[in-house]
Formats: sequence, C-alpha cells, structure tokens
Amino acid sequence: MLKHPLFPQVAVVERISRETADIKTFSVAALKGGVPFNFMPGQCAMLSVPAVGEALFSITSAPAQADFLEFSIKKTGAVTDCLHGIEEGCQIAIRGPYGNGFPVAQLKGRDLLFIGGGIGLAPLRSLINYCLVHRGDYGNIHIVYGARSAADLMQRKELYENWPASPATSVYLTVDTGQEGWDGHVGFVPQYVEELGFSPQNSIALTCGPPIMIKYVLAGLERLGFQPEQIHTTLEMRMKCGVGKCGRCNIGGKYVCRNGPVFNFAELKKLPAEY
Amino acid sequence: MKEIMQKMRAEAARVLSSGEVDLVLGWEKGDLWWQSYPVFIENEKKAELLTWDLFCVPNLAKYLLEEIWHKKRVALFFKGCDALGFNQLMQDKRVDREKAFIFAVPCSGLVDPQKVERAGLHQGLLRVERLGDELTFVYKDREKKTAAPWFYYDKCLTCRYPNPVVFDFMLGEPVPVNPRERFTAVKELEGQNVDARFQYWQRQFSRCIRCFACRNVCPACSCRECIFDLTSPRWLGKATELSENQFYHITRAFHMAGRCVDCGECARVCPVQIPLTSLNRKLIKDIDELYGPYDAGVDPQKVPPLVTFNPGDPAAFLESKGV
Amino acid sequence: MQEIQKARLPQLWEYLAKKAPLYLPQQEDGVINFAPWQEGARVKLESLNTVLPPKSIVFPQWETYLHFTQKARELKLTPTKEPEGSYILFGVRPCDVAGITVLDRVFLQDPVDVFYESRRRCTIISLACNEPDISCFCSAFGLEPGFAPAADIMLWDGDKFLLWQSLTEKGETLTHSLTDLLEVPTPAETESVQCLRETAATVQEQKWGLDGVKERAKDMFNAPIWDSLYRRCLGCGICTYLCPTCHCFDIGDFSRGERGERFRCWDSCMYKDFTLMASGENPRPTQKERVRQRFMHKLSYFPAQHGLYGCVGCGRCVRKCPVNIDITQVIKEAGGSISCA
Repeated sequence: MLKHPLFPQVAVVERISRETADIKTFSVAALKGGVPFNFMPGQCAMLSVPAVGEALFSITSAPAQADFLEFSIKKTGAVTDCLHGIEEGCQIAIRGPYGNGFPVAQLKGRDLLFIGGGIGLAPLRSLINYCLVHRGDYGNIHIVYGARSAADLMQRKELYENWPASPATSVYLTVDTGQEGWDGHVGFVPQYVEELGFSPQNSIALTCGPPIMIKYVLAGLERLGFQPEQIHTTLEMRMKCGVGKCGRCNIGGKYVCRNGPVFNFAELKKLPAEY
Repeated sequence: MKEIMQKMRAEAARVLSSGEVDLVLGWEKGDLWWQSYPVFIENEKKAELLTWDLFCVPNLAKYLLEEIWHKKRVALFFKGCDALGFNQLMQDKRVDREKAFIFAVPCSGLVDPQKVERAGLHQGLLRVERLGDELTFVYKDREKKTAAPWFYYDKCLTCRYPNPVVFDFMLGEPVPVNPRERFTAVKELEGQNVDARFQYWQRQFSRCIRCFACRNVCPACSCRECIFDLTSPRWLGKATELSENQFYHITRAFHMAGRCVDCGECARVCPVQIPLTSLNRKLIKDIDELYGPYDAGVDPQKVPPLVTFNPGDPAAFLESKGV
Repeated sequence: MQEIQKARLPQLWEYLAKKAPLYLPQQEDGVINFAPWQEGARVKLESLNTVLPPKSIVFPQWETYLHFTQKARELKLTPTKEPEGSYILFGVRPCDVAGITVLDRVFLQDPVDVFYESRRRCTIISLACNEPDISCFCSAFGLEPGFAPAADIMLWDGDKFLLWQSLTEKGETLTHSLTDLLEVPTPAETESVQCLRETAATVQEQKWGLDGVKERAKDMFNAPIWDSLYRRCLGCGICTYLCPTCHCFDIGDFSRGERGERFRCWDSCMYKDFTLMASGENPRPTQKERVRQRFMHKLSYFPAQHGLYGCVGCGRCVRKCPVNIDITQVIKEAGGSISCA
C-alpha cells in the first residue's frame, strides 16, 4: 500500500528536560532507535499526541548531532499542554521533515549573526550547532539572545559553556526586565543588536522570535546597513498538513510549510504583509 | 415599493448630513435580479445606492454587533422580522437601543428566488416588480404577471409581524396582517411515530455541511464565543458525522428555545435546505402550550418563559413516558 | 459518436451500477446532490449544478486515514484502507469536471495524496450544458459549457436522447461494453446537438473578458474593494464548501478509550479560527483579510502557484451566498469585463 503523506510514524520520547517554567526539550527517537528521519537545520516536524492532535515544531537539534531529534516546546495550546504532561518513554507520532531549512550553502565563508528571542532560539540552535560542527566553513559567529527574564533563557548550558568556548564565537545575552542576581544586559533584543553595532560586511543575519521582535530587528539591521538579502528569518503560521495542501499557511502565493519557513527579508518584502 | 425607496434615500441622506448618525445600514441592488444585499453608507452622497425591492431579505440588525460600530450611531431599516431580531439582541443586552435610529419598513412579503427558479421563470429574468398582490416578471422582450404569494418565502406567508414592532420613524403605511397557520409542518411531524420522526430528522441532519450559516445569520445567536467554535475543549468535532450534526442542531435549537423570533433566516440561508423552521417552531409550540403564548422579540421588557420559574409551572416533560 | 434514448437511461444506470458504484445527481427533500444510484432513485439530470459539487465524492468532507490504539505508553498506528477508486460519476457538468482538474493540481502534486489519487481513478461522464444559468461564467476561464475535455465520456442533451462520445481509453472501454444500449445517431441529431453546443458557448462568451485579470489581481492586495466587500460577510462557510475548487482542510482526532482515529475534513478560510495560532496571534484577524484571502487565492495566488485560475465559474457562490458576495464583482474590479444582460 502506498503511504499517505499525512501518515506519521511512531516515535519514542526518550528524554524530557525542563528549560524554563513553560519550555521543555524533548528527545524523540524512532521506535527502533536512531533519528526518525534525516533533516537540515531550520526544518520542522509534525508531532502528535493521538486523541489530542498535531502541531508543527522546528527541530532544535543539529543534523547528525545525536541519534534522536530534539524539540523545544513552549506550553501554549492543546497539543503542547499534553506534551508537557507526558513522561519519558511515552510514544508519540511524528512526520516530516517539512520546510526548506536555512540556506546552509549560502552561509559558507560568511560571518553569522544569530538573533533570537524566547522560544525563537529553537530553530536557530539547530543551525548554530551545525555551524559549530563544521566550524571551518564559517567566519565569526555572534549570537544575541534575549528572553523576558533570566529564568526564561533556554539552553543555558550551551549559552554559557559550549558556545562561548567555541573558536571565534561570542554570545550576548539580554533580558527584558532586570532583576536581582542578573548582572548582564537589560533591554529588548532589537535595541541590544543596534547597541552592539554589528558590521554587515560579509555577514548574514538569522533571526527568530516573536513577530514584534522580528519586526524591530529587521528595522535595526537595515539601519546597521544590512541588505534585505542578508537577513533570514523563520516564520510561524498555523499549519495542518505541512505539505502545501491544507491551504492555511500561505502568505500570498507562498506556503510557509513548503516555500518556508525560512525566508530572507528580500523575499518577504515581495509578499503581502499578512504574517 | 419605489416610493418607499425614494423615501429611504432621502431619509438616509438627511440623517447623515445632519450628523444625527455616522452610518446608515440598508440594502443595495446587485447586478442580478435576486441580489439585494446589505450596504454600509457613511456618506450622504452614497444614499442613492439604497434600494427597497422584493429581495431585501437580509436582516441588518446583527451588524450592530461588529465592534467597529460600537461607538457609532447607526440608522437602519427594519422589516417586521428584522425588528423582532433587534429586540431579541436588545433583550440579550447585545445592542444599545439609544445608538440605533430605526426606520420601519412594513413588508407584505419577499420573493424566494428558489421558487422562481422552480417555476422555470428565472432564465433571462431582469427584475421582478409588485403592484398590489400581483407580481410582474420582466424579461428583455416580454413580461409575465402572476399572483404574488405564490413566490413569497414560506416564512413570509406565515409572518405574524409584518409591521416592525420597534422603530423611530415609519416609512409607508402599515400592511394588513394575514398569516397562514405556522405550525402545519410541526403538527404533521408530531402526528408521526417516534421512528418515523427520528428517521426524518436523521435524513435532514445527515445533509448538514456545518457551514454555520444558520448560526451566523441568527439574531438570537450572539454569543461572543460560541461553544461550537471552542477548540479546548472541543465540544463539536469537525467531522460532519451524523451524531455530531445532530448534536450541533439540537444544542442550538435548545439554546434558541424561548429566544427564537421565528424570522426564518436559518432555513433561508441553509444551502442544503434543512427545515430548521420546523425544529425551532416545535420548541415555540411546546413553550406556548406549556407556559402560555409567548412571542420572542415582540416586547424586550417581558420576561421570557424559560428564564423564570413559577412553582405552578407545568412539568409534563418530567412525567411523560417516552416522547 | 453514439447516442442513448433517454427512455433507456434507467436501464443504463442499472447496468452501470452493477459494474461499479454509480453516482449521479439525485433529489432528496428538494435538494439535488450526487448520490449512489439505487433502484427507484430520483435522478435529476436536467438541473444544472448540484448543490454540492462532485468534489464531495473525490474529496469527501471528511475521511479517516489512520487508526490508533494507545495503551499505557505504547502507541500503535494502523493505516486506513485506501478508498475504492473504480466508481462512475454520471452527469457531471463541464465546470465541475474542470473543478476536479483544479483539485488535481493540489492533491496530485508531490507528495501525492494517495487517497485522492485512488478516488481519481473513477470514470467521469460529463453532461454538456445547453442553457447555462445567468450566474454561470465558466467561459470566463476558457472553459466551454458544452464540452469537458477532462471527462472520460461526454454527453449532449438532444431532448429525447443523449449524444454520447468517449474521450479517453477508459471511456472507450466502457462505451464498448454498452453496445446493446447505444445507437448510431442520425446526422440531423448530431448536427442539432452541435448547434446547441455552439449557442451555449456564444451566450457566455459575449458576456466575458478576463484579459489581464490575473496580472491585475496580483496588485489587488491593498485595493479598496476589500474595505467594503467584507462588511456584509456573515463568516459562514457556504462559498468555500460549495466551491468545486476550494480544497482547504483540517485534521482532527476522535477517540473513545484506548482507540481512536485521525481524519481529514474540509475547513474554510472564512472561519475566524482558520489561521488562529495557539499563541493567540492571527495573521488574518478580521473578516476583511479572510474575504480577501479567498478571492486573491482564486484569482492570483492559485494561478501563481499552478498556472491556472482557482475558479471555474460554476456560479454556486454567486447563487448561494446569503448576502450576495459575488466573485464576479471582484473580477470586474480586477479589470475583467462582464455584462449580465
């Protein structure tokens, strides 16, 4: 029998680690072990808890980094509520990979500027770790990441230990509101990026976060001299099928699930402002 | 009707230019003979768009729920059925009488395009006019005259309130009230045994495509958040399975009980002709029989029978065996 | 070319229904829809469009595609059996045949929707329109009311008989099995039908011109028409569900105890929760964006993606919208010409 494109496979949630009060990271492996499928950074997968439903998440682990896929998931709706309630060893359903992913070939030889906010670090992390594995292929790597508060920063081990320890890699953290015990930068991500004043020379910026953050980051980067083609972002839309058929994630003539979720700002400018 | 249309345009221009209202809600004529649809006029120069003909069937009252109008004063035209719907919205505390300036348009019945089509009169039809009780179907090179009631909506034939019960200004003269018996279909169904009735309704509900037109058009359906739209928990599954369809229609009918103004819009808009009027009228008839006659939408100050309790209320439904 | 006397149609249907499930327009409680033929069926060939397009057969409103069992931590998924594809659709109007070819673009593009592909193995017998309705405008999209090139067999109504021509190998094979029922038409009969076909086509062609609509629609995203058109919209799903080309769907689960199934069902871009995200964000927050999406999809986005319009001019939405939101008004706004007289 031919495979229905919406038919998922069973997968095992091997590990669950708590990142913040409302974000957990799930390690998901195929039933017989190993990754359920191969993928590239920036691609997504549809996870489902039967009887509750499906939802699309970006894969936060890097390709060939582990024999499982990782998903950092924020508790926001029916499916995510349910995922937050399951235990290690539970079986769920998964299908994918979906989407175009980051243009890794285009990034070679460039300085990379990653700008993330909140849960938006999830897709960027996949690419960051991919680049660190292929460290020689890329120039300087700058990572700017912010969250509402220090307690809302995810992937803290990598933020504080792994990434700063990599050659020519710097991490800049900020929180929206300061609090006791936090001696780092306080302020919103877009302003921090402008304060840090990165050079657009031979650079590519990659950003993901809440829509309002992306909007101001784009404006700020343009002020720093970045051309629209130098800025990549990943978009979020409500999706059901993941394969360009169910008809709800289109922005004009483009489907976020098929043609995206990664777009550069030049492409976005050509699309109707409906995202 | 033309005379009233002229008055409509003049009055609309007047209330807009004087600044009495910010918006006039009326009907505009489309390209095709049956198209007379709601129009939103904010500029007196556009008052000429207003029409009043045999197809001005949509009720304008529910547009008052749109947030963008909340702060505005709106003038609108009501037929008898529309006025009942408005009163129901008032009773449900969803619209503000003070912000609405109501023009009453007595209505002796509107034409059902489906009846025209069924009679084979639609091909090449340009427009339909009425003089007294006679309709004239106008074509490019001929005309056809016929008795008007033949082509009226069923809901118009049984209409008991053709003259609006709430208004600020009346356009035209009140029309005679001469309704046909409205419970005929209900009585016919009541006469059948349980199995036959069940089969009948199963057949009707199995056609439902869950387009929600019946709910969206209903002046008694004004919840800010509808139970059928909730996703967490999801009460109504999205598969148009018969049991889900039944759940939808029966739940809605019970929610309408004592609040349905019998405007018949649900049945009119249903693309698959589910006889929702029979469902709602069964509840109206039961309420009438149990608690005494009550017509929702006639007097918004009157306490509806289902929101009050008297120790003497009949409880036949508790005592009866079966159905 | 062959013909069948109308008096012999019940015989034909009985024969066909024995070969494969046979769907044709039938009337029940005053509503005409495609339904499986059975003895005593109230077939209504003469009415133009069914209420629901035959989309409801090739792409049913809902269908289960997987079953699941969940016990403790263990999950078992079982695929649902592929649907049967060897049925016959009889009496499909040319616009609706074209509607199916629009759906093909979506469901047969990679990754192929195997359930749809299976249902598309059906045989389509199309019936030409002699007298299109005032709300019909298929010729606007280059279609012909009297001919459906994507059908397997084409029929023309000659009053007492139906003229019969097979257009594909599948149609040819079926035709061969019907030698007892089919006859050879007289030249006069063939000619009379040819005449009807031409008349039907000219009636519509005079009405329509769509030059440049696709191109202009592209720039209509900020057009003023959206600020007024949406206001009367009730936000119901009639236009989308009755549309032969609307294909948006949702995925849902239902379960009882440990067992359940996952189904796919029609959804509508007119509904407010269609693009609502779990975070509460909604890229189409008001009815304005939703109405715009539907028309832009038909006239601009779909052509950009697939090279053809996402509308076939069947006129269902024109006839059934409770508040007469009319796609022909949008087409006119985009520079198309139409005269309704």
